[in-house]
Amino acid sequence: MTTHYIGEHLFPGQIGHLAVIIAFISALLATISYVKASLLQKQNLPDATSWKKLGRAAFVIQAVAIFSIFGLLIWIISHHYFEYYYVWEHTSRDLALKYLLASLWEGQEGSFLLWAIWHAILGLILIRVAKQWESPVMSVISFAQCCIASMLLGIYFFGYRVGSNPFILLRNAGVMPFEPGPNYLSMIRDGAGLNALLQNYWMVIHPPVLFLGFASTIVPFAYAIGGLWMKQYSEWVKPALPWAVFSAMVLGTGIMLGGAWAYESLTFGGYWAWDPVENASLVPWLTLVAGIHTLLVYKHTGHSLRSSFFFLIISFILVLYSTFLTRSGILGDSSVHAFTDLGMSGQLLVYLFVFLIPALGLFFYRYKHIAAPSQEEPLHTREFWMFIGSLLLFISAVFISFTTSIPVWNKIFHTHMAEPVDREFHYNRIQIFIAILLALGTAVVQYYKYKQESWSYLRKKIAIPTLIAFVACVIFGWLSEIHYTKYGIGFLTAIYLLFFVSIYAVVANLSYIVLILKGNWKKAGASIAHAGFALFLIGVVLSSAKKQVISIDRMGMMDVFNFSNKNENPRENVFLPFGVPVQMGDYDVTYIGDSTAPGDPKIYYAVQFADRRDPSKPLFTLYPDILKNTKGMQGYSANPHTQHFWDKDIFTYVNYASNIEPDQSDTARYYTHELQVGDTVFLQNGYLILKSLYRNPVKPVYHPAPGDIAVAAELSVFSGGHSYRADPIYYLRGNEQGAIDDTISSLQLYLHFAGIDPQAKKILLAIKQIPPKDHFIVLKAYVFPFINMVWLGVAVTILGFLISLIHRIRQQIGSRSSIKKSSYAVQEMET
Amino acid sequence: MKRFHIILLVLIAAAIAVIVSLVGDFSTYETFASAARHPNKEYRVIGELDKAMPQVYEPQKDPNYFSFYMKDKAGNVRKVVYLGSRPTDFERSEQIVLTGQMRDSVFLSTQILMKCPSKYKNDQVAISQMSSTDSHIAK
Repeated sequence: MTTHYIGEHLFPGQIGHLAVIIAFISALLATISYVKASLLQKQNLPDATSWKKLGRAAFVIQAVAIFSIFGLLIWIISHHYFEYYYVWEHTSRDLALKYLLASLWEGQEGSFLLWAIWHAILGLILIRVAKQWESPVMSVISFAQCCIASMLLGIYFFGYRVGSNPFILLRNAGVMPFEPGPNYLSMIRDGAGLNALLQNYWMVIHPPVLFLGFASTIVPFAYAIGGLWMKQYSEWVKPALPWAVFSAMVLGTGIMLGGAWAYESLTFGGYWAWDPVENASLVPWLTLVAGIHTLLVYKHTGHSLRSSFFFLIISFILVLYSTFLTRSGILGDSSVHAFTDLGMSGQLLVYLFVFLIPALGLFFYRYKHIAAPSQEEPLHTREFWMFIGSLLLFISAVFISFTTSIPVWNKIFHTHMAEPVDREFHYNRIQIFIAILLALGTAVVQYYKYKQESWSYLRKKIAIPTLIAFVACVIFGWLSEIHYTKYGIGFLTAIYLLFFVSIYAVVANLSYIVLILKGNWKKAGASIAHAGFALFLIGVVLSSAKKQVISIDRMGMMDVFNFSNKNENPRENVFLPFGVPVQMGDYDVTYIGDSTAPGDPKIYYAVQFADRRDPSKPLFTLYPDILKNTKGMQGYSANPHTQHFWDKDIFTYVNYASNIEPDQSDTARYYTHELQVGDTVFLQNGYLILKSLYRNPVKPVYHPAPGDIAVAAELSVFSGGHSYRADPIYYLRGNEQGAIDDTISSLQLYLHFAGIDPQAKKILLAIKQIPPKDHFIVLKAYVFPFINMVWLGVAVTILGFLISLIHRIRQQIGSRSSIKKSSYAVQEMET
Repeated sequence: MKRFHIILLVLIAAAIAVIVSLVGDFSTYETFASAARHPNKEYRVIGELDKAMPQVYEPQKDPNYFSFYMKDKAGNVRKVVYLGSRPTDFERSEQIVLTGQMRDSVFLSTQILMKCPSKYKNDQVAISQMSSTDSHIAK
């Protein structure tokens, strides 16, 4: 007998699951048709077109199915249909509308769906623009869609579950604490909600951009595979180049949006922590950029075709590898923000190899056929040094991957290696030298010419920029005052070297635009991107090497180890008692109160910064907060707050506060005072006056009953230069007496109207004030100098990519129309 | 031999040298006893919080001193001193990964990583008003 469950909306889920199956099957059909079309096209057989049309139709159906899944998920989420596990797990009723999308991609299924959506859109564009490359390219993309759609299937094959269905019902998900009765849904009042750490606008924009970056790496990959497959080893380069530029631009933007998010709302203390998840997305970007450079070399000189194939193929493979790392649960302890295992690691591994083995197999099988000039490129040419630059990017990717893959090595070799103890320095000490060489390359190499020994040309042209850069280095080197000696003088030298080389790169690239390109912006994409990259490096150097912890505690008493040097006990948290200014760097910092709002799970701590030299004038107030009951943590998590200046940021977060564990802090007692109107009571940091008594008070928390005799005391409180008003109430209801207390939370002052003595015309007022030493926060505060350089550098780099992308697309359209024109000319001649 | 091959060989040699030096940075998971054999070297020690022993964090006295006792994988309990603030939710941690070194009989920690109960695995549907549940089922 089947139970009928009341109140469920099963229709959208059934349609949704049907759409998943349709998406899977039509992607499979599209793959088969496009493969068939490609094979026929390769032999110049006429049937190719009809297969291609079939492939198109199947892909369009697949795309419609994917969009429907997306729409249906939004539908069930926005209607709070908690009978669906995904809705219950990732949303709650009080979730603001703007986080609806964020909750959609909090889970693995939603983020796979996002990926599939981008693939579908890219595929639809390619159907329109890829012309003779449509069949091979779409074969690859359809196959990838097939793989992703299978991640959403949630169907068992031979006892192994393939994918995870986002439309699974709550009662079938195995999380119910009891056997669901017919009326179970009425007991599900609310969902588990979206992790509060993810409830910010970064979560709304970062994943879509990043996933567009990931998804778009398949296009240059598909072109490269198409080139190998169709044995058209050089023709694919031209159409693939703008796609590679687009992909690198979007992926880079996505990565740095993640960095900005980490900086703005997490407490890493920075925008980059070399976290495995961050690394996993950076590595494909590095190889993709290497691929763009070798493509350009090939386009201009005929060299580096083989390495172009290699770089573009591994970029996509590395995206798959990164997906495997972050979603299989293998990173486990080593990353703060990996997805948890959904039991799909086997499936993810299969897909990695399904792409890796045929792609690299085909590459090595056809390696000999890929044209490579027998003559080597001369030493003093642009192509040679661009190739070296690409190799450097690749090497950088190898080093980063090597450490990031520790959990993989442990699995393969049954070892028990752990991450380096000092993770950041482990990466920095290698990557800084690669960055120095790359920055030098971006400064110098463009002054070479393609295809000719141009050493003397370079020397002549680069003399002026070098001179300007030298002067700039002396001035800024002197002004910069970098004294980062934590890792010795060698590392400090490397830091200065990177700083100078980056300045050189900025100057040289700007000079190139002015002197060589004569301000032709259309062709300046590369120079702008390189200048942006160098600006970014300058920002990185200044903001990290000059980063300063200003919340240094000078009072600590429990130093049991007698540390001789500062490095061993950095004392980076400072104790801020309520209302007492504490010196931090150039500021006097005072904890002046906290606030909560109903429905908002955050406690905001107001921390006021004043100039040390003029403490009476507050400069600004920051509100770092602590989140209560973050999903999955049940405890507290800190959110930083930052004051932005043009030349620095002041970054603060609360590590501990007296009121997060209220049972411990509430040791203060009530003291009762007898007061007449006009009397004064002295408080810890001010005083209180009983102004008047009045009848029939109105207050939201007081609900008068008929016959109540109610009196309120009007109290004026003066403390720390501010005045406050409080109105505690005392009432008689029949024979019972009652009171409505009042509090002034910023003073931690609790007021209880305890009684009236009508003869003496006195009232009894019980006062409790939590002393400042029991009312405190523990704060950490940094100064990040010139952090805006980092964001500026990123923005300029993206702009450079964009300019060069537009330039490339224009070139394509131009060349296409010129081909058309010439074919018209031929036709005319024939007629 | 072409210049390309020379470059490739040099790069491979350099890369191997760097990778060997990277491996040198890799840490290992130790117990308190094995970490004590090299008192000035930093290690990672995995264990769980000993809830029977006292925890000390008194920010009024020192906001950068937090001490507790941890039981390592070998079952030994040692006092741990962390030079920072007490992590929130510390009690709920299932597993703790410490980075630091042994000093006499105390483990001096510079980093604490906590593994809290997973939000996915231990999820249970929260039911409001269990009493009403009973009455519904009774019907």
